[in-house]
Amino acid sequence: MRNARAVVGQPTPLIDGIEKVTGQAVYTADLPAEGALVGRILRSKEAHGRIRRIDIEAARALPGVRAVITGADCPLTYGVLPIAMNEPVLAREVVRYRGEPLAAVAADDAVTAAAALALIAVEIDPLPACFTAAAARAPDAVALHADKPGNLEREVHHRFGDVEAGFAAADFIREHVYSCAEVAHAQMEPHAALASFDPERGQLLMQSTSQVPYYLHLMLARCLDLDPAAIRVVKPFIGGGFGARVEVLNFELITALLARASGGTVRMVLSREETFLTHRGRPETEIRLKLGITAAGRLTACAAEVVQRGGAYAGYGIVTILYAGALLQGLYDLPALRYDGYRVYANLPPCGAMRGHGAVDVRFAFEAALDALAAEAGLDPFALRRANLLAAPTETPNGLRVESYGLGTCLDWVEAASGWRARRGRLGPGRGLGMACSHYVSGAAKPIHWTGEPHAVVHLRLDFDGGITVLTGAADIGQGSSTVMAQAAAEVLGVPLARVRVIAADSALTPKDNGSYSSRVTFMVGNATIAAARALRERLVAAAAVLLDAPEAAVEDAGGQFHAGERVASFAEVTRAALAREGGAITAKGSFTCPEPFQGGKHRGGAVGATMGFSYAAQVVEVAVDAETGAITVEQVWVAQDCGFAINPLAVEGQIQGAVWMGMGQALSEETGYESGLALHASMLDYKVPTILDSPPIAVHVVESLDPNGPFGAKEASEGALAGFPPALAAAVADAVGLRMDRLPITPDRLLEALAQRARAGRLARALEVA
Amino acid sequence: MEPLAPFRVLAPASIAEAVAAAAAHQGARFLAGGTDLLVNLRHGIGAPGVLIDLRSIPELRRLGPDRGIGAAVTLAEIAAAPPMLAAYPALIAAAASVAGPAHRAAGTLGGNLCLDTRCIFYNRGEWWRSATAFCLKHRGETCHVAPTGHRCHAAFSGDLAPALLAYDAEMRIAGPDGLRTEPLSALYAEDGAAHLRLGPGEFLAGVILPPDPWPAAYAKARTRGAIDFPLAGVAVALRTEAGSVAGLRVALTGTNARPFLLAGTEALLGTPVDAAWRDRLGRLVQKQVSPMRTTLAAAHYRRRVAAALAGRVAAQLAEAA
Repeated sequence: MRNARAVVGQPTPLIDGIEKVTGQAVYTADLPAEGALVGRILRSKEAHGRIRRIDIEAARALPGVRAVITGADCPLTYGVLPIAMNEPVLAREVVRYRGEPLAAVAADDAVTAAAALALIAVEIDPLPACFTAAAARAPDAVALHADKPGNLEREVHHRFGDVEAGFAAADFIREHVYSCAEVAHAQMEPHAALASFDPERGQLLMQSTSQVPYYLHLMLARCLDLDPAAIRVVKPFIGGGFGARVEVLNFELITALLARASGGTVRMVLSREETFLTHRGRPETEIRLKLGITAAGRLTACAAEVVQRGGAYAGYGIVTILYAGALLQGLYDLPALRYDGYRVYANLPPCGAMRGHGAVDVRFAFEAALDALAAEAGLDPFALRRANLLAAPTETPNGLRVESYGLGTCLDWVEAASGWRARRGRLGPGRGLGMACSHYVSGAAKPIHWTGEPHAVVHLRLDFDGGITVLTGAADIGQGSSTVMAQAAAEVLGVPLARVRVIAADSALTPKDNGSYSSRVTFMVGNATIAAARALRERLVAAAAVLLDAPEAAVEDAGGQFHAGERVASFAEVTRAALAREGGAITAKGSFTCPEPFQGGKHRGGAVGATMGFSYAAQVVEVAVDAETGAITVEQVWVAQDCGFAINPLAVEGQIQGAVWMGMGQALSEETGYESGLALHASMLDYKVPTILDSPPIAVHVVESLDPNGPFGAKEASEGALAGFPPALAAAVADAVGLRMDRLPITPDRLLEALAQRARAGRLARALEVA
Repeated sequence: MEPLAPFRVLAPASIAEAVAAAAAHQGARFLAGGTDLLVNLRHGIGAPGVLIDLRSIPELRRLGPDRGIGAAVTLAEIAAAPPMLAAYPALIAAAASVAGPAHRAAGTLGGNLCLDTRCIFYNRGEWWRSATAFCLKHRGETCHVAPTGHRCHAAFSGDLAPALLAYDAEMRIAGPDGLRTEPLSALYAEDGAAHLRLGPGEFLAGVILPPDPWPAAYAKARTRGAIDFPLAGVAVALRTEAGSVAGLRVALTGTNARPFLLAGTEALLGTPVDAAWRDRLGRLVQKQVSPMRTTLAAAHYRRRVAAALAGRVAAQLAEAA
C-alpha cells in the first residue's frame, strides 16, 4: 500500500517553511498598514467589583486620540459555545477578574494611546472574590454570575456499566486525589489583530491570530451587529495556537469595535503579559480517582470526581468538563465508569481549550493510579496495560467508536526500544524508568455550531496555467495542515506537489471551515480534499476521454498524464480540453461529514469525546533525580504513536515530539500562579516553559493502523502523546526515588520537600521503634 | 504594548568623560548591556532622561592588563574562557550559567555585579505594580513579601558576584573623586531597595582578580537549565593541605538582598571534607541565608538547596585536590 503512494507518506518539508525560516512570512503584528492607529486596552485592577463609573471624556479630548470605547459600546456578550455566551467584550456593570478589559483606545501613536489610558478614570466598588474552586463553591461565596448559584457552571454525572459490582469484583483498589496546576499555551506569537473599517460601505476587513477564522467571523457579525457579508476575515501566518486561539478573544472584537469607532484601521498588538492575561489555558484540576483491577490486571471499574477551576467566564468550560469524563474511556477496555464533574467559576482569567483538551489531567490521574496498582499487584506496568487492550472495531460503554487501535504495537515498540525489561529497576540509585499510555480524538465528531452543512468543504481550482489551487478555510497555525492538503490533492491527481498551491482561510475566497481544533483538520479537511480531488479527476478523465476518443472507463491517469491504449495526452492538453468543455476555469468541490453513528452516545453531553478515529500513544521516560536539589533530568523519551497513517512523516515526527515536550513542561515546571487574582506567571521568565537544555532526545516511532475512515488511513498526530508524558515521568520518579508524586508540576522545591518529609517520617518511625 | 519612555544615550570616550557626564545630568543612569536596566525601564521603573553608555570606553572593554577585567567586558567573553582566566574556572562557569546566549552576548561583568535586586512584586509592568499599590522598593509603602516590616527583601541574583567574592577579588570604583580600589564585598549592603554602596556619580569600572587563586567552583539551583536567575548560587574556594581543609571561602547569591561571604568558615579548617564536615557547612549556610518569598519557588527550598550545593561543591573541590 505504502509503495503505491507517490506523495503522501513521503517526508515533506512544509510548503510554507521557506517563508518562515527566511523571515519572509508576514505575521499579524507585521502586516503592512501605513497610518494604522494604535489600539490599547485598559484592564481592571480589581478581581471582582461593580463598576460605578468609567469616565472617558478626558481621554477622548486628548489630541491624537481617535476613539475610546467601553462596555457601553457593545451590549452583546460572546462565547465559543452557543449555549454559554456570557462574556462581555468589555466589562459591563461588573468586572470579574484582574486584567479584564474595561475600556480601549485608538490613537495616532503608542505614546498617545498610553497617555489616553492614563486619563480614563475608573471607579469600582469591590465585591468579595474567589480564587480557588473550594472558595467559589463555599456556601457563602458571592456568585460571579447571577444565573449560576454556587458558581457551578456545569456539573456532569455519568454512569456507564455496573460500577459497584466492578469494585466488588476487584482484588486491588486504589483511591487517591491528584491535582494538576493550571497551565497556559505559551505560544510563540503574542496575540495581535489588524482591523480596517470602511465607514462609507460599512465593511470590515479583519486579520487576526485566529485558529478558527469562521468563529471570528460569526462573533464579529454578532457583536458589531453587522451583516456577515460585510465582513472579510483573513488569516495571516500564525505563530502557534495550541487551543489559545480557537475561541474568539476579547482583543479581536475590541480591535474591530475601535476600527469602526475611528472609521479607520487599528492595529492591536498585545504584550506577553496581556497575552497571558487573556489566558484560555488548561484549568487547575483536582481528580479524586478510584480504580479497581483483578489480580490478573483486568480493569473492573473506575470512579472519578473532577473539579475544574474555570475562571470568570464560560468559554469552553462545559466541553472541557465533559471531555474529562468521556476520555476516561476509549483507551482501555474499561467495563464500568462513574464520572462526576464540576466546572466552577472563579475570579481569574477564563480557561479554555489547550492541546489534549480535557483529557490530560484525568489521564495523569488514571495512569498514575495504574502504575501504583501495578506495583501493589506485582504486575509489570506493560502487562497491566496489555491486559486491558480494546479490540477494534468496538464501541465503549459511553458510546465512543473505535475503528482502529494500534496501542498494542505502540507498547511493544517502546518496551523494546527503551530496554525496559533489562533496564527497569537496574539503573542504580536516583535513576528510573516509567511508562504510560494516552489517546486523543481526530476531530470532534459533532461541530459546536449545528448548521446542517458538511463538517468540511474544500474547493480545488484549475485554470489555464494547469496549476491546482486548494481553497480551504482550515487554518494552518504552524502544524502543517496546508502541506497535508497539498499532498492529498497531489496524490489523488497524480501531479507533483509543486503543481499544487494552498490558499487557506480568507473568507472572501475559501469555503467555510470549522477551523483548527480537536485535531480535526487532517482527518476531516483531508477527506474533503480527497473528495474534491477525485471530483476534479473525474472531470479531467471525462475531458481526456473526448480528447483521446475513448470511453471514460478506458482512460487511465498516471503521473500527470492520461492514457487510452497507445494514445497519450499531457496534463496541460487535458486541462485545456476540460476548460473548453466546461466553459472556463473549473472548481471542484469536496466535502466531509462525520456520519451520525460516530457522533457519540445519546446521553446528555454524549457528543463530546466522540470522534471517527482515536490516535494512540505509549511512551517510556527515563529520569535522573538529584536527591540533594530535587532536580529531575529527563534523560530520554521513547514514544510510539498510532496516527493511522503518516501523510507527512516529517511533520508527524515533529508534532509527536512537540506533544511530548509540551507534556514535559506541564509535568516539570509550567504552572500559572495568582496573588489575590493577579497573575504571577505572566512573562516568559516566570512561566517556565522548558528550555532546550532541559529537552531530552525523543525517539519517535510511528505506528500505522490504517484507519478505515481516515484520509489514506490517517488519524491525528499532534495531541495524543501529550497526556502520557506527565504520568510516565511521575512513574519514572517513583522508580528512581520511591516517591509517588500526585501533584503537577513536579518542581524541584516540591520534590525536595517530599523527600525531606519522607526522611522526617523515617526518623520519627525509627525514634518510635527505639522508644 | 507599553512604549519605552524616551531617553538620550551618551557615549563617553573615557572614564573621566563618563564621570563628567554623570555630574552634568542629574538622574542619569549608567548603561552597559541593558539586559537588566532596559527591562526595568520598559516596566516603567524609572524614567531617566539620559543613559551613559559605558561600552564606549575602550578601557572598560578590556580583559587585562594583568588580572584586571573591565566592567563592560561581556559575559560571553568571560564564558569563552580566555587564557587570562584559565586559573579562575568558577568565574567562567558563573558567566556561562547566566540566562541564555543572547543575554550573555549583551550582558556585562559590571551589569551582572550591579544587577538590580529582584522580587515577584517588583519585576512587573506598570499596570501590575499599580494594581498592588506598588511596593516598598519603588513608589510604594509596603513590602508585600513582609508587610509588617519596613525593609525591602528583594534578592540579589547575579551569578558573578559569588565567584569573585570566593576568589577574594577587588573592584575599581570610578567617580567624582577619581578611581579607588576596594574589596568587592564593600560594594554590597543587605537592603533590597539600596543594595549597592555607590555614591552619586560613581560607577563600577572593573574588577581585579587576585594572583594564585585557590581552586574554586560555582553551582546554582534554578527550575530550568537556562534562562532562570539563581534560586540559590554558591561559589566555594577551597585549599587543602595533607587532606585537610586549609583555606575556605564560601559565597552565596540569590538568597539575600546582597551576595555575601559566609562568616565563620574558619571553624571548618583543619579537618578533611567528609559527611560530618558537609553537615556543619550546610548548617552554617542555613543559618546565614535569609531567603524570603521573592521568587515563585518556595523560600525554604532556596535555604535547603543553598546548603546542599555548598556541601557538594566543597566536596568536589576536595576530591579534585
